[in-house]
Amino acid sequence: MPDLISYLQFVLAPQMLNGLALGVSVILVALGLTIIFGLLDVINMSHGEFYAVGAFGALALSALGFNYWVLIALVPILMIPIGVLTERFLIRRVYDGGDRHVSTLLLTFGLGMIAEDLLKIVFGPNTHRPENPLPGATEVLGVFIPTYRLFLIAIGAVVIVAVALVVYRTRLGAMVRAAAFDRNMAASLGVRVGWVYSGAFAFGVALAGLAGVLLAPIYSVFPTMGHDFILMAFTVVIVGGMGSIWGAVIAGVLLTQIQAISSLVISPVWADPIVFGVMVLVLMFRPQGIFGRIGHA
Amino acid sequence: MHDRLDISMRANHVFFWILVIVALVFAAFASFSGDVFYLRLATEALILGGLALSIDILLGFTGLLSLGQALYFGIGAYVSALVLREEPSFWLAMGAAGVSVLLAGIAGGLIANRVRGVYFALITFGMAQVVAKVVYNSRELGASDGLIGIPVIEIPLGLITLSAGDPLGFFLLTLVIIALLYSVSAYLLGTPFGRIIIALKANEKRVPYLGYSTWAARMAAYVLAAVIAGLAGALYPMLRGFVSPELLFFATSGDALIMVIVGGAGTLAGAIWGAVILTMLKSVIGSWTEHHLIVIGLIFMSAILFMPKGIVGMLKPFVERNLLRNSARQPKPEPERTAL
Amino acid sequence: MTDIMQVEGLCIAFGGLKAVDGVSFTAERNKITTVIGPNGAGKTTLFNLISGALKPSGGRVIIKGKDVTGKGPAALQEAGLARSFQITNLFFEMTVRENLRLAAQRLEPVRQALLPLRRHGRAADKVTALIERFGFAEKAHEIVAALSHGEQRRLEIAMCLASEPQVLMLDEPTQGMSHGDTEDTAQLIRSLTDEVTILLIEHDIGLVMSLSDHVVVMHQGRKLAEGIPAEVRADSAVQAAYFGHG
Repeated sequence: MPDLISYLQFVLAPQMLNGLALGVSVILVALGLTIIFGLLDVINMSHGEFYAVGAFGALALSALGFNYWVLIALVPILMIPIGVLTERFLIRRVYDGGDRHVSTLLLTFGLGMIAEDLLKIVFGPNTHRPENPLPGATEVLGVFIPTYRLFLIAIGAVVIVAVALVVYRTRLGAMVRAAAFDRNMAASLGVRVGWVYSGAFAFGVALAGLAGVLLAPIYSVFPTMGHDFILMAFTVVIVGGMGSIWGAVIAGVLLTQIQAISSLVISPVWADPIVFGVMVLVLMFRPQGIFGRIGHA
Repeated sequence: MHDRLDISMRANHVFFWILVIVALVFAAFASFSGDVFYLRLATEALILGGLALSIDILLGFTGLLSLGQALYFGIGAYVSALVLREEPSFWLAMGAAGVSVLLAGIAGGLIANRVRGVYFALITFGMAQVVAKVVYNSRELGASDGLIGIPVIEIPLGLITLSAGDPLGFFLLTLVIIALLYSVSAYLLGTPFGRIIIALKANEKRVPYLGYSTWAARMAAYVLAAVIAGLAGALYPMLRGFVSPELLFFATSGDALIMVIVGGAGTLAGAIWGAVILTMLKSVIGSWTEHHLIVIGLIFMSAILFMPKGIVGMLKPFVERNLLRNSARQPKPEPERTAL
Repeated sequence: MTDIMQVEGLCIAFGGLKAVDGVSFTAERNKITTVIGPNGAGKTTLFNLISGALKPSGGRVIIKGKDVTGKGPAALQEAGLARSFQITNLFFEMTVRENLRLAAQRLEPVRQALLPLRRHGRAADKVTALIERFGFAEKAHEIVAALSHGEQRRLEIAMCLASEPQVLMLDEPTQGMSHGDTEDTAQLIRSLTDEVTILLIEHDIGLVMSLSDHVVVMHQGRKLAEGIPAEVRADSAVQAAYFGHG
């Protein structure tokens, strides 16, 4: 019996806490993805690269002497104009060209390639390890957990709740949801749909940037860092219900816990197939995901 | 008068024949100058053309965007490599690869065809990524190094025997095989079965009321595409002597998708043209910068924005007009339009 | 047996609302049976239940003595049923001929699906005949999207006939047509009764009365009345529910 308790305390609990940190990370990346899909019907294949741009942006700015805590606010703000310009001058041009899903997906895929190579040109292909702003570990239930992970879980939760409040509870969010639900109706109600689209895309991109800043101290920074997260983020978005924020949160926590706990029992290599298997099962029995779209309650 | 779809397919053939002629002229030049590098590269381009062809069957005809077609290309390549290491037989390798991708295609199709649209794109993406990761982590399959040391095989072709190590001979053999894959695809798309596939893209909701199961039709197209990708993949280890997990990764699927878009989706020949153009371009760009991604990415985005029909798709109307004029000039067997 | 199709107590509900509630009627061979009713009466839903687009929660559909309830559209096509749509539903990027060719290829055995098109004489003959009969000779190679609305509606009917069905369901075939086109279409429908049994949804009351052999009146998901046009017209309940509101 003491064995069981110490197993729970020293093996399972820390693993679940690590899983939670990963879960929050994935949700942070998935949040922007799901908002952009839910509102614009665009699968943003360059989302992983926007995430990397955020991380590199933080790296560059901190080299210029900016404080890390300032960057958490500054980087997402700097990402907004990038998002607006991308939506206005690139993505908008292919909205109505045939199948919107396909054309925007392909366009953002090309954009991602270019962004990845640009990062390589500017910063080189090497891996950077930014300084940890919260070094050391904190004791939780007799186990030492890196302090930054605890901070990440806390701030991640705050960001997620804040985003959900903005989308679901504010007038701005209502406008955006109206535009997602029925473009023409929203326009006739005086919503400036063009700006709503730009704004929603920029919001998603800013969230990717924020994820980049927050995750850089844990997962290190390199030009293709987006690739590692993007499959998991897509899975979370699908399982949660494309475009649903709460769905993404629940799916993110659930899938990363499945991954964390299963890797205690079997080789971590098989964690990916298991997570993917869950996605397939969800698609088989509930193709719309656990929750529905943002605008389509 | 012929159906537009027939004229369209015949225009594709024109572009494919031009490609064959260009390939033969190139082969003649290369063998005169004793070139090996470019012959090998051109062979690789054709092999990737097979992968692009399979994507075009799905995207350009069935209306399905697969982001993980490299899955079947990679399975074909790995099975072929495994067979060749045990038994250096060309026909055995091709046969085993064909059967494997047929089964893999059915399994993958059962999963992916439960969903439509973006979900289909994402689930094919996910399937390929997961299998790639499993291969990447399987020591039995050489893990991240892949399988190396595939022997150079002798290929008995009835009267003559060809060595996979002979750049010219293997290039010509690859050309023949890709031409076969192209012909089979083009033929099937011209049958009633093919018309149903095309109808799926045009208006999937109407198809059941023609008396056909959309699921079965989609499944058939998916498995066909998987087999084509797999057979093309089976040639890869014969050319390069190794296979690696990169063959399964999204980069491979994505590259092939770019080939289809640049060459022209829905034209079959365009997919192979796209493969040739892109492979050559990469090699040229690669000789002066390591940042070929940015150039390819720019070309790809320009194609989507300014030339969404691709190169062949853009040139095709001229050829179609000529074909129409020719077929109109021919004596009509039946006075179909005397009512005028 | 002159009854070719029986519908018995078909039901379906959407979130508590009974869209179709126990509707029964019989369609007689080579006659025109018309379903009428005010907007929202459940006519198109009834069609969707019969043609396999929706699964009924209760009731039966019997075609030629065979129970086909709950079968999908493809299986119903096999059973000899074809339908057109209220909102034109064609392969818009294909030509008239290609559309008809698609619809006609069911005439050929499935095992020949992998033979070239030119080997399918029966389907080709059917297409040629339909092009002639529906007056598409001039436009056989036009893209459907380029046709006028009236022509597209006519092509819808031709598409349904291509597979030589026994029962033809037409959902507002004259919807949005000019007066002249409506007349022509009515005549066309009348001429079809030699070969098929017709089930019709129609709004134009004049047309219904002149064209139908049998009329089924629906109101709020239920069958209100049925009979020959004159009987239905005289029915006081029908007058109140339907004609009264125009």
